[in-house]
Amino acid sequence: MSPVISVAGLTRRYHDNLALDQVSLEVEATSIVGLLGRNGAGKTTLLRILAGQEFPSSGEVLVHGAAPAENEAVLRRLVFVREDQTYPDFKVGHALRVASWFYPRWNAALADDLLADFGLPPGRAVKKLSRGMRSALGIVIGLAARAEVTMFDEPYAGLDAVARQIFYDRLLADYAEHPRTILLSTHLIDEASGLLERVVVIDRGRIVLTADADDLRGVATAVTGPVLAVDEFAAGRAVWDRRRIASRASVVVAGGLDEADRLRAASLHLDLTPLTLQQLVVQAAQPDDRERTSA
Amino acid sequence: MKTWRDVARYHLVVPWAPLLIPWAILSGSFLVNLVIFALSPYGHHTVMTSHGPVSVQDATHGYTGGVATIYILFLIIGLSLVGRSLPFALSLGVSRRSYYAGSAALGAALAVADGLVLAGLQAIERATDGWGVRMFFFRVPYILAGPWYLTWLTSSVALALLFIYGMWFGIIHRRWNLFGVAAFVIAQLAVVLAVVLLVAGADAWSSVGSFFTGLTAAGLTGLLAVLAVLLLAGGHATIRRATV
Repeated sequence: MSPVISVAGLTRRYHDNLALDQVSLEVEATSIVGLLGRNGAGKTTLLRILAGQEFPSSGEVLVHGAAPAENEAVLRRLVFVREDQTYPDFKVGHALRVASWFYPRWNAALADDLLADFGLPPGRAVKKLSRGMRSALGIVIGLAARAEVTMFDEPYAGLDAVARQIFYDRLLADYAEHPRTILLSTHLIDEASGLLERVVVIDRGRIVLTADADDLRGVATAVTGPVLAVDEFAAGRAVWDRRRIASRASVVVAGGLDEADRLRAASLHLDLTPLTLQQLVVQAAQPDDRERTSA
Repeated sequence: MKTWRDVARYHLVVPWAPLLIPWAILSGSFLVNLVIFALSPYGHHTVMTSHGPVSVQDATHGYTGGVATIYILFLIIGLSLVGRSLPFALSLGVSRRSYYAGSAALGAALAVADGLVLAGLQAIERATDGWGVRMFFFRVPYILAGPWYLTWLTSSVALALLFIYGMWFGIIHRRWNLFGVAAFVIAQLAVVLAVVLLVAGADAWSSVGSFFTGLTAAGLTGLLAVLAVLLLAGGHATIRRATV
């Protein structure tokens, strides 16, 4: 099956700042992809280019097999709600009514349910919404549109934990009934990790990691214990990170561990902790001088 | 075409701004003028002479030019509608092209509708000899003084022109902020200056003068229409690469 989103050699330059540097990426239909990375890594720029809001400096961007910029055949099957979305001077209800005109599969019942879940008053002026409420409005529009390509940029900025859980639950429930391609950027990585099928890590304009979320579990392990034992265990393995506090050390070893490895670690009195998705992203997005020792 | 219509509906989702504000403000201006005319005796004005004040018969009617208010409001509406609503439209997968076309179509439709109302009000003004106080608010000598259908046509073209001009300002502001607007105004002044220098250099003032004195109101309306098309093309060229 050909990918829904296909990006090759995409570069976006702003004066002397390279926002995206030779990005290549493919996203298959019906998947939930997390675009992870630090602030300013290039996540929003990438999404804006995919949504035709921004233009590439060079490289090829295809959505449904065609360049999205000014291509209504592509754009009308896509919704992109931004963290910093600006709205005209109108009310929540107006925003939803307008959105419904542009999406043939718009689901008004779902929008109403979500409004109630988030406690969003339809009569409230958008500019009077708090940051979290404004995010919730973006989520309602993004989900109710049921667009084939649905993109969220930091969808839950300012949302409380309960509201975030509502977002995860409703997204998964609606995705199960109406599968589509969902791309969401976030830095609340561990919280979203249960949701994501694929993970794309972007750092300083480059894609540093692309993987199935399942494959990433156990891809690296933190090994903690006495310095000598840790060194013995880590010998010959790829080590991503090394920290030392007094006589104890902690290293991150890459690659899966088998049963023999575990037995050996136990005999050396070492603690093994698989890296969470968030820790992996931190590792992937770190400067290259990884060897750090603190006394 | 459906997208154009939806863009127009989008601008009208809060309908009072584009539909009612021009008329609300124009009514205010009209009432103020009406009160002033009602309070001051028309037909005469007082002139100081060496023999003291002398009342002199007015040669002309009381033209106020108050109708200009609505033209300025069309510029402001074009400006404020288009810049503000672009980001959300693009979020909903509308292309810049459709957004621009739908917005311009809305402006044109409003201009035609409001132009007709202006023509009707002008007819009432004539029938009542200036609302009973000889005040000519909707009639402007030469340009808006012909038959009702010509008033309709000229008003519509001029209103559409100003809406489109406002849209271009709105898009410029969207792309380059206040700095861009300033540069845009300076560029237009430069164009005017260039035309003036060209005419002066060719020593062609008399032919320019006779061109304009020979121009009928209908001919001027045609010129305005050409200008509107040029502005429409300019705005389109500006929005094509606008980002949000």
